[in-house]
Amino acid sequence: MRLWWRRMRVMTAKELLQLSRDPVLLIIIAWFFTADIYIAGSGISMDLRHASLAVLDQDRSEASRELVRRFRAPYFHFQGGLDSPREGIARLDAGESMLVMEIPPRFERDLQAGWPTEVQLQVDTTNTVLGTLATAYAARIVARFGEERALRALGIDRAQLAAMPRIVDRHRVWYNPNQIDPWFMSISELMTVITMLALMLPAAAAVREKERGTIEQLAVSPLTPFQILFPKVIAMALAILLGTAVALFLILLPVFHVPVKGSLALFFVVTALYTLAVSGLGLFIATISRNLGQVSMLVIVVLLPMLLLSGAWTPPEAMPSALRHAMVLSPLYWYIDLGYGILLKGAGLIVLWDSVLGLAALGILIFLFGIWRFRRQFG
Amino acid sequence: MRLARVRAIAWKEWREILRDRLFFTMAFVVPLLIMLVLGYGLSLDVENIPFAVVDHDRSEASRAYIQRFSGSRYFDFVGYVERDADLQPLLADSRIRLGLVIPARFERRLRGDRPVEVQALIDGMFPFRAQTTKGYLEAIDAEANRELLGDFLKRRKGLTVSRAARVVAPVRLAQRYLYNQAIESRWSIGSGLMMLVLMVSPPFLTALGVVREKESGSIYNIFASTVTRGEFILGKLLPYVGVSCLNILLLWLIATQLFGAPFKGDPLFFFLASLVYVVCTAGIGLLVSILVTTQVAAVLLTMVVTFIPAMLYSGLLVPVESMSADARMQAYLFPPRYFLEIVWGSFLKGLGWTDLWVPVAVLAGYAALLWSIGLLAFHKRPRR
Repeated sequence: MRLWWRRMRVMTAKELLQLSRDPVLLIIIAWFFTADIYIAGSGISMDLRHASLAVLDQDRSEASRELVRRFRAPYFHFQGGLDSPREGIARLDAGESMLVMEIPPRFERDLQAGWPTEVQLQVDTTNTVLGTLATAYAARIVARFGEERALRALGIDRAQLAAMPRIVDRHRVWYNPNQIDPWFMSISELMTVITMLALMLPAAAAVREKERGTIEQLAVSPLTPFQILFPKVIAMALAILLGTAVALFLILLPVFHVPVKGSLALFFVVTALYTLAVSGLGLFIATISRNLGQVSMLVIVVLLPMLLLSGAWTPPEAMPSALRHAMVLSPLYWYIDLGYGILLKGAGLIVLWDSVLGLAALGILIFLFGIWRFRRQFG
Repeated sequence: MRLARVRAIAWKEWREILRDRLFFTMAFVVPLLIMLVLGYGLSLDVENIPFAVVDHDRSEASRAYIQRFSGSRYFDFVGYVERDADLQPLLADSRIRLGLVIPARFERRLRGDRPVEVQALIDGMFPFRAQTTKGYLEAIDAEANRELLGDFLKRRKGLTVSRAARVVAPVRLAQRYLYNQAIESRWSIGSGLMMLVLMVSPPFLTALGVVREKESGSIYNIFASTVTRGEFILGKLLPYVGVSCLNILLLWLIATQLFGAPFKGDPLFFFLASLVYVVCTAGIGLLVSILVTTQVAAVLLTMVVTFIPAMLYSGLLVPVESMSADARMQAYLFPPRYFLEIVWGSFLKGLGWTDLWVPVAVLAGYAALLWSIGLLAFHKRPRR
């Protein structure tokens, strides 16, 4: 047994040494855990910001001006008035404006007379998400404008509003009250980076031995397949955990001020578990490919669906139900639940035990499968 | 520069690609897969938001109010819970994204013409989703309030139902969607993904092609031969550019046939512009291959320099105009942004040479720059 441990230790040391001798690779890994997460976390906001709006005001009345004034920053960016409808189309074609609003003549008069009137909005929907978002905001602004005008016309003021039946919306956004995008984006990117490296690094380390032929040396040594493969996983997992710590303490906490509510120790345990599970998948890839070109292609083939179907970028609820059930097979699905749960929501084991169990079971299964494949090849 | 030598190297490379079956299939399968998976999966529609309710009133009015949520396709009713505190673990475990708390005497207050407060707890984990949820919530409340107000006016001021409805909502917003009338997000994302795939796959192929020789040592054969570095690089990269050209056609077919995106522009222009883009991104792969010595490093570095810029800073998800100043600068620094303008211009807007020559020129300049740096930095006499 002592010999067993010693072999494991020596092999792990060998892997770490080999990793430390590729400075370019080390720099790239460091880049992933720092700059890459910073870049992904900063600057990108999926919210409606500065949607450029041009207005063709054919009424030029007090009412029309008030309506236009309500399209405010930061959601909208008012670019100024237009003189003709053709100008609006030209601006949309050139991508200079995203929205062109047309206020009809006699807008104010119709309003005062209580006649229904219509404001036209032309929306550039090349980007559908923002197109619909902008339309929804605009519809809300116009509706509120109309309602307030109507109440004013009826002579109902603020004080009387208290004596009217209405539902008052008191909402609170938990975990991220101000909807700070970097909190979400940086954690999401950290998970993506961990997934990618956990797939790639052990697979690469295993295939490199194959490519260079050094695997034969290992195969004739008294080492078991487990002793050959597992130290690679341990070494890479150590590197990844170190990287995660760097990312957390150098980027997420000081730069983005992500409020870590849960236990960091639990997070690291879960991350280690996850790394092992994904490494098993990487080892499986290593057994079916002969060189690194093939490994990298297969890694992409595995990585992309995994990222996409696990809710890293898109909400899992929006998926077709068949896919939603398939997601259970992806370790990332469990890890995302756990990662956000621990870091942002402050959930502990009491709430999350089922996800931890799912991840552990899946990880052991995948890992055994990877080893089994390898043993069949070289045993 | 002797063309015969270039041809010989290109032929050798082509044979090598063909012989590595897995690599060859992957060179086509990976782009297809990225396109399909992202095209179908990258849905940013926020729908079926799971929500739970604490109903302290349990009246007809409160049930009708909940029905407004569960009846819409945006929300998915999970169930009732007893106490307010029960919502917290559900939110923490991501089983629900929204919790509603309807106070006692909900119905009685509304009947008695008094306002009533409804509490909503929104999961803010994914800010975009939280924002959208908030929007839906406000829209549902606004509609409920309009009906309540109409009802109120009918009772108090004696207006008819239709008159009351008109008074409450005097202005309507008539929206007209341009370029993507059906708001098919698949049209935009599907065509836009051509930009992403062609940004990621050519550099991968070229970088791996060159670094493989470096790692296995076969590059010394080239160093020892009469082949000049220009001939080597050109010959080496030609097959990969060729593969990528085939991919352009394949991806174009997927975008138009499978995702049903309309192609309104000039096909010849689009193909030429794509070719310029592929040459440009292959140049990125060339630079990567010069910087690194191992294939792992090549793969990872290519990921770094292509995927994130193409995904986040191209305008695919967020228009460049809405980005912060730093992010906008990054967007203008990388080629994807320019190609996306060409893609969407050609597909959805039907623009051609006259409107889109600027981005094409930028891409051509970018390609020339990358290739000249690559040529100058590639040495037949390595320092080590």
